[in-house]
Amino acid sequence: MALATVQALTFHYPGAPAALRDVSLQIEPGEVVALLGPSGSGKSTLLRALAGLVPHFHGGRFAGRVEVAGLDTRRTRPAELAGTVATLFQDPEDQVVFTRVEAEVAFGLENVGTPPEEIRLRAAAALEAVGAAGLASRPVAELSGGELQRVCLASVLALSPELLLLDEPTSQLDPDGAAAAIELARSSGAAVVVSEQRPERVLDACDRVVFLEEGRLRGGGLPDAWLPRDAVLPHGEPAGEPVCRLEEVSFAYDRPVLDGVSLQIGRGEVVALLGPNGSGKTTIGKLAAGLLEPRAGRVVREGRACYLSQDPGRYLVAERADEEAALAVGGDLARARAALAQMGLADHVARHPRDLSSGERERLALAAVLVAEPDLLVLDEPTRGIDPERKDELVRLLRLQAAGRATLVATNDLVFASALADRVVSTVPEREAVLA
Amino acid sequence: MRPAAAAALLAGLAAAALLAHRTVSVAAIAALLLVVCLRAPAGRRRLYLVGAIGSGLAVVLVTPFVETIGSHPLWTGPTVPVLGQLDVTSEELRNGLFQGLRLTAVALAFAVYALLLDHDRLVQSAGFARRSVLAIALATRLVPTLERDAAGLVEALRGRGVEVSGARGRARLLSPLLAGSLERALNLAEAMEARGYGRPGATRALRPSWSAVDRAALVAAAGAVAIGVLWL
Repeated sequence: MALATVQALTFHYPGAPAALRDVSLQIEPGEVVALLGPSGSGKSTLLRALAGLVPHFHGGRFAGRVEVAGLDTRRTRPAELAGTVATLFQDPEDQVVFTRVEAEVAFGLENVGTPPEEIRLRAAAALEAVGAAGLASRPVAELSGGELQRVCLASVLALSPELLLLDEPTSQLDPDGAAAAIELARSSGAAVVVSEQRPERVLDACDRVVFLEEGRLRGGGLPDAWLPRDAVLPHGEPAGEPVCRLEEVSFAYDRPVLDGVSLQIGRGEVVALLGPNGSGKTTIGKLAAGLLEPRAGRVVREGRACYLSQDPGRYLVAERADEEAALAVGGDLARARAALAQMGLADHVARHPRDLSSGERERLALAAVLVAEPDLLVLDEPTRGIDPERKDELVRLLRLQAAGRATLVATNDLVFASALADRVVSTVPEREAVLA
Repeated sequence: MRPAAAAALLAGLAAAALLAHRTVSVAAIAALLLVVCLRAPAGRRRLYLVGAIGSGLAVVLVTPFVETIGSHPLWTGPTVPVLGQLDVTSEELRNGLFQGLRLTAVALAFAVYALLLDHDRLVQSAGFARRSVLAIALATRLVPTLERDAAGLVEALRGRGVEVSGARGRARLLSPLLAGSLERALNLAEAMEARGYGRPGATRALRPSWSAVDRAALVAAAGAVAIGVLWL
């Protein structure tokens, strides 16, 4: 008997067109289902429907039926489904309740009525399983994005659910961490539905693939852009007139992050900066762009530098998309609109940035730095939350403009790096040979 | 010391500052809380100290102009519509100082609570009104979260070559900060519901029993209130 059944589900968020249209699906106990599809295709909504959050939390129009473990989700509140169902949301920063890791992992266990004497033991075991046992007493605010994603994964695994819903669980993890997380979910014994924008990370581990497009299930094989691709990383030599040079640079926050790092980026070349979580990729990017000053060594830069942070859609300040893009060019709206058109946002120039979808916000943020035509462009994890088709477009755009500038991309996305970069540099030098 | 005992002690000191009727007593309580507050990391405590001391100073400065007490004028000014004739008496100055110190002491007690207490353990140790305690803990986290978001916004703008400076530049961040907080609050509420928050039959992880220090802190809290009423 199926663990979860979705029958002819159609759902509209309040005042919006249908996010899901006539979706029918069965999930068997213990199977791993990869849920793929472009941004805005309804993947997160389908996961929310399986968790009961649609329609209970979001409201809207709901037609059809969803049953999980024999419970009709329209009659059972999400909190009552918790424990049977566990959900890992897209953005780990927005799901953390407590300030310390151990309490955070224990929160769900307490809510579902776990015997008090078991709570700490199960929380500790879950943290150990995700390789985060050493983080138990750490404040959540001090964790890197990847560490936080592991802690959130531990929080859901600790519940030992029958159905595990993972919404882009590896978006902030390096390839090794991502493979370990998917394998961990698979070996938990729960049925797993995992939504991903990087198909190569889940296809090997899943039993079945479901593809959503404009809210409908698509039959047949995967579109070409979604087929797994081999990452063939380039191993070029530094080239072009140097635009940015890091010379024996060291940096520390509370603990040392970089020690004697040297790197040169020349005009016309695209350098991909790879390395595991917490190895200093973001710090190198910020030092190159002049947002941080090194503790030792020096950074030499020619011309204007622009930096696009991780999760840039969160950091938009203007009331209209064109005004946002115009900030970097002294309010020149004509240039801003041209940059927006280049990113496929010509129809959205007058919209409030926060009314845009998350993918559109990311593109707006990218337009807001590209409009400045910088000599050095630094992008930090620019493919987080971006589907393969958009990723291909991003590669085309960056390659098109690459000749006029130096580009540094900090990323964990090997397929993206192999498609875009002329040269790969690792924050862990001994891994460069392996990567090559 | 358990966070619940420490919170009770802080509440006792704040209550004593409100109940005491001698300026020197309130000043002593404020000084004690300031010393404790200085144990927090410099970067985090700055905002709280500016808020606590700044609001106290504002009360000290404004009180003489809005009160009309005392018979020992130090300065007599013009007549202002609504407020009447402005003057400053030594009694008004003393009262302004007293009220300013009271406000500072209460604000410093909150600063110590926000900066130095383990809110997770406080929530977990709440034997009753757990929802209210959790709400307070989440509200307490709002300040550091806003600080982080503001830093992220400034960095995003600097990354585009836009420097944020002056009151007008910073004021531009208020609207996105508010919108970001609302988004974050909605996402958090959804995640809490999905994790079973509010479901009947919740349990709590085992907690260590109350130590002698914890009990002493509770007695001291009650004592501070009593002394505040009777002697300070």
